[in-house]
Amino acid sequence: MKMMWFHLMPYPDLPENFNKENRSVWVDIDPALFDPEVMADTYDNYIGQLVFAEDCGFDGICVNEHHNNGYGLMPSPNLIASILASKTSRAAITVLGNSVALYNPPVRIAEEFAMLDVISRGRLVAGFPVGTSMDTCYSYSENPGTLRQKYAEGIDLIRQAWSAEKVFAFNGKFTQLRTVNPVPRPMQKPGPPIWIPGGGSVETWDYCAQNDFVYGALTYYGYKQVRETVGGFWDRVDANGKDRNPHRLALTQFIGVADTDAEAHKLYREPAEYFFNRSLHVYPGYTDAPGYTTEASTRAKYKSQVRATVRAKQANHDLTWAEMVDNGYVVIGSPDTVRETLEAACTELNVGHLCTMLQFGNMSDELTRYNTQMFGDKVAPALKTLHAEWDDPWWPQYAVGGTHYGKGRS
Amino acid sequence: MADVLYLFGIYGHPELSPAMKAVEAAGHNVVVPSVRGFDGKAGFTAPEQYLDWYTIWWDAIDALGAGPYHVVGASLGGMVAAELAILRPEIVRSVSLLAPFGIFDASNPGHDIYAEVSAKRPPYLFAKDVPDAFVNRFVNLGPEEFPVSRYLCDTAAANMLWPFGERGLGKRLHRITQPRLTLWGELDVVSPVSLAQKWGGAEVIAGAGHLMEWDAPEEVGGKLIEFLASH
Repeated sequence: MKMMWFHLMPYPDLPENFNKENRSVWVDIDPALFDPEVMADTYDNYIGQLVFAEDCGFDGICVNEHHNNGYGLMPSPNLIASILASKTSRAAITVLGNSVALYNPPVRIAEEFAMLDVISRGRLVAGFPVGTSMDTCYSYSENPGTLRQKYAEGIDLIRQAWSAEKVFAFNGKFTQLRTVNPVPRPMQKPGPPIWIPGGGSVETWDYCAQNDFVYGALTYYGYKQVRETVGGFWDRVDANGKDRNPHRLALTQFIGVADTDAEAHKLYREPAEYFFNRSLHVYPGYTDAPGYTTEASTRAKYKSQVRATVRAKQANHDLTWAEMVDNGYVVIGSPDTVRETLEAACTELNVGHLCTMLQFGNMSDELTRYNTQMFGDKVAPALKTLHAEWDDPWWPQYAVGGTHYGKGRS
Repeated sequence: MADVLYLFGIYGHPELSPAMKAVEAAGHNVVVPSVRGFDGKAGFTAPEQYLDWYTIWWDAIDALGAGPYHVVGASLGGMVAAELAILRPEIVRSVSLLAPFGIFDASNPGHDIYAEVSAKRPPYLFAKDVPDAFVNRFVNLGPEEFPVSRYLCDTAAANMLWPFGERGLGKRLHRITQPRLTLWGELDVVSPVSLAQKWGGAEVIAGAGHLMEWDAPEEVGGKLIEFLASH
């Protein structure tokens, strides 16, 4: 199993009473809450942590895209990825990803991802999320009713642009280009592996299975809550006649490791509470612009009353530490506890790419690095062999991280 | 023969409004197009472009008969009515616009109902209680299908208006040559009454919200009947 180190890049200084006095962490968050000096130090720390993750042996390092957001300070993940591509030499540069419909024309993504692939010498994973309702429809005012059509068309254009040997014209419904000819083309041929981060839409499962893209179940609510989503994905893989190669699936998971279970609970409670009860304070009116969710997924949503009940609790931002731990939102404990939990979860869910989230909320730089090194030294070595019988055709051709887990920093 | 074409508003068409029933009672024959998406039927896919919507609307209107009509357009339907008067003047005898979308004022934007969850949107459209016709629309489909149809109807309206209903109509208004009546609800929080200035002024309906035909049926119906009688 490949293990990535995924950074959301949260703002670490939201006020204690943020969720009481502010409507939302996303879209219309008060810009006065952000101190540029804190932001500068934060970016320094976070970029350093991602580079440190490669030193600790992680197979890949991950960044993502959010807009108008207090827990995701990367409106342009490609800017961060370009720094990482230059400062690292082994790990996969995993951009999860660029919200395709927000780029006009989408060939801009073909260009920037090709640059990243060349700068990193063939280590890029190209992530293409639809993007959340908050990012796409409210922060960027994309029309929700056509967002997914525009997104799918954009991916077609990007893939053609990467692999075309000659200049061509593109006559799409949303994009018309007389001359498509991005320079450079990617180092990987026909292009970087494509991963599709998704939230559980039925169509996305089919889209990934049919096109042999990795499906990224990028949940904040852990391995237990995602069972239904992952089960749906594997059902569609079966239905499309594809194999159950675990590397078709990526999963995010918040993790905190310490010498003992008790110590881990002591260290990671505050940053987890900060994340779940402050950073995830999203105004419900922004979560589903009319048309953002497909008809099939809307129908499925209203059929799942269990899921609706869970979501209502999550939306209240009043989760207790016990709920976070018991429900698997965070996997907390000694190296043995964490390893056993993740091994069981990744076996049950058939996960081949684990996107560890070892920094969350207002976790300090010191604690983040401790957590990262503990995982790299004492958890990852045992998990690395999981699913070793399967090839991973979705891994960048020239990424060679993951070779020195447990050997200390290189 | 039908003489009045009614184009419904942002929340769809559950049944004829009390104001339009009054128009019918005054001797007019009112017809309403059935427009896909707004009907809540499964299988709706939003068209790519704003202009594509007018193929859909024109086809639906033409299916009703040749016209010409006195056109009454409310809210989103007011925007369609204005475009109809500009682009297909031969089928428009007169046009009545009830708080139409199509022009946006960033200095007084009104409340964005699409930044509310579905269940909280209707109260912003009325100054009085949400009429039962809207509360009960699609309910007969059952608890699982009802919200899906509601969602599809909202999807269609939002697709036409996103992000806030500015469709450049201010540049085309001078092309409306037919007799025109413009009404605006005094308490409209979605399209504030100040927007009426950008439409060349309007008669203000006291105590009415955005979907004024439901809030003030007698006054709105009376204004429409009076206007239709003179044209």
